[in-house]
Amino acid sequence: MGFTRKDFLGSMIAATMLSLTGAAHGQQAEPVLIGATVPMTGPLSLTGKQYQNSLTMAEEDINKAGGINGRPIKIVFEDTQASNGTAVNAFVKLAQETKPSFFFLSSYSTQNLAVAPELKKVQVPAMYAGGADAVADGGNEWMFRIRPADSVSAEGMVKAAVDVIKAKKPGILYIQNDFGQGGAQTAAKRLEAAGIPVVGMEAYGQNDKDFSAQLLSLRSKGADTILIFNYPQDGALVLRQAKVLGFKMPLVTSSAALVPAALQLLSPADLEGVWGVTDAFMDASVGGRMKDYVERFKAKFGIDPDPYGLAYYDGAFLMAEGMRKVGTDAKALREWLAAVNGWQGIGHVYSYDAKGNGVRDLAVVKAKAGTKTLELVQPVTLN
Amino acid sequence: MADFIQLLVNGLAIGSVYALAAIGFVIVYSATGVVNFAAGQFVMFGTFAGVVTLINAQLPWSVAYGAALAIMALFGALFFITVYLPLRRGSIVTIIIGTVAVGIIMQNAALLSFGSWPFRLPSPLEDRVVNLGGAIISTHALGVVGVTTLMVAGLWVLFNRTSVGIGMRAVAQDLQAAKLMGLKVNRLLALSWVLAAVLAGVAGLMLGPMWFADVNMGDPIALKAFAATIIGGFGSLPGAIVGGLFVGLSEVLGASYVSSAYKDLISFGIMILFLLVRPQGVFGEKIQDRG
Repeated sequence: MGFTRKDFLGSMIAATMLSLTGAAHGQQAEPVLIGATVPMTGPLSLTGKQYQNSLTMAEEDINKAGGINGRPIKIVFEDTQASNGTAVNAFVKLAQETKPSFFFLSSYSTQNLAVAPELKKVQVPAMYAGGADAVADGGNEWMFRIRPADSVSAEGMVKAAVDVIKAKKPGILYIQNDFGQGGAQTAAKRLEAAGIPVVGMEAYGQNDKDFSAQLLSLRSKGADTILIFNYPQDGALVLRQAKVLGFKMPLVTSSAALVPAALQLLSPADLEGVWGVTDAFMDASVGGRMKDYVERFKAKFGIDPDPYGLAYYDGAFLMAEGMRKVGTDAKALREWLAAVNGWQGIGHVYSYDAKGNGVRDLAVVKAKAGTKTLELVQPVTLN
Repeated sequence: MADFIQLLVNGLAIGSVYALAAIGFVIVYSATGVVNFAAGQFVMFGTFAGVVTLINAQLPWSVAYGAALAIMALFGALFFITVYLPLRRGSIVTIIIGTVAVGIIMQNAALLSFGSWPFRLPSPLEDRVVNLGGAIISTHALGVVGVTTLMVAGLWVLFNRTSVGIGMRAVAQDLQAAKLMGLKVNRLLALSWVLAAVLAGVAGLMLGPMWFADVNMGDPIALKAFAATIIGGFGSLPGAIVGGLFVGLSEVLGASYVSSAYKDLISFGIMILFLLVRPQGVFGEKIQDRG
């Protein structure tokens, strides 16, 4: 059978139609790019890896659910390591090369503070989990916080010390950076306002490994309770060293010392007499979306999830809902996020104020006697 | 008083670890003229050798410690062959950059192999404590001081009573003369690296239960060991011991009695003071030109 001119023209038309259809299909499937700057290596990677995992899981879940009105999302990660300079470079690289429609920034406030001016230039909305009040006070309208600010956490710790432990002479130990200093000062002011002034405040550096001098100094000043503002690894070390030094007084830690990364370094004995606030009480037994998230995360990554990662998972779904409703235009999305009120995530209820703070709830927890299982002492919601 | 005793023992324990790392620094510098900027990573490798033998392989204490130190000895020999020998004829800058680069490679290799999560390395003395007049002292901290004392005594015997040690000192004093005297110089130089690695291994194994095993632990140790050698005297073994203990004690006592916010400033401030006023350190070894 010969191949006529009519056949040739027909096949050409068919091929052209196919390629056009393919192109249209390809355009429809073109992903919405999201940039994520995460400390994936270095000393901050303990928690960084958690939110890289949770964002990866959120990406899969959002795409399985149809993406953004049929378009999948694609999260491009860049490593911030433990340095502000690297964090800025990572952000600029994403902004210039990937040109994402949205950013997730590190949960470390010093990195957030360093990146904030660059974000202001790029003018794309971003979510972050750094707690320092200074970040929100900077007035960058493109930044939206997805976990409690340090002042909220500090207030929760004060409530634990005053309401639960009935402390009379509290002392404060804090890591010497934006997070630690801000939290410690807020706690000291709140305690003073409650008529319970602190007996002493001691600091330590981010790379310090021995805290005996600070702990003993607070004990010698007569502290009957110590509030500790820490990151995961140093938090675990402080709790262990307090036990080795024979401390019997109650210790109230900020959330990082009770994330799985820190708990795996502690024994049940190290947690005796330890209270803490966590951003969210992640109890799978409550069922529903919390159970689904906790169990699937553990099955997928082989480790327990932590509240920081959950905040990013919630944040990704909040972002996706905004994109579905108003599209990916940066200004429209920013306006939509700024108006979010009472959005129910898994870990928190999100309502944004003028400074971009979205979370005001947390939980006071304590380990069950002889175990490392945390139990809820009291939920805390602050206005 | 009880608090002071607690602080003193803690400071001595930490200072002992710095001293061992500093001794490794000094042995390598004296013998080869190379300042080993990977010294902190040597200690980190020692801790992770313990993770491999104690946690992963679940070996009994004595076997695990022996195996970890054997791993470190092998590592020291490999470092000599693959890093020192190719670099030794290079300029000072080349050697410095070489050891810095190898330190970074070691850190990244550990990160890829063990991940970023720290490990809780157990102590053979567990979490036991003793009460000394109201001061609660960790038996592990006492053990660290005891082991360091034994190591220092062993080193004294090695360098003063054995032909190998005397040979190492001869190489350190004058390499060409040692060669002319028929000493097997390369073997003695290799032994310096092996000894430095084993000392770092001991420091790492003792440090693991105190600080957790962490791939990023090397840098702060290297900085403190470097400060210790400057204060004690570059090239001096007694200087390394005194410098290490001084840095450990100044860190802990300074944080308690001066200011916890400025404790690093105290030890590094003193180091800078020495560099300005007495660059040869307490024990007065003349700083050489190489490395």
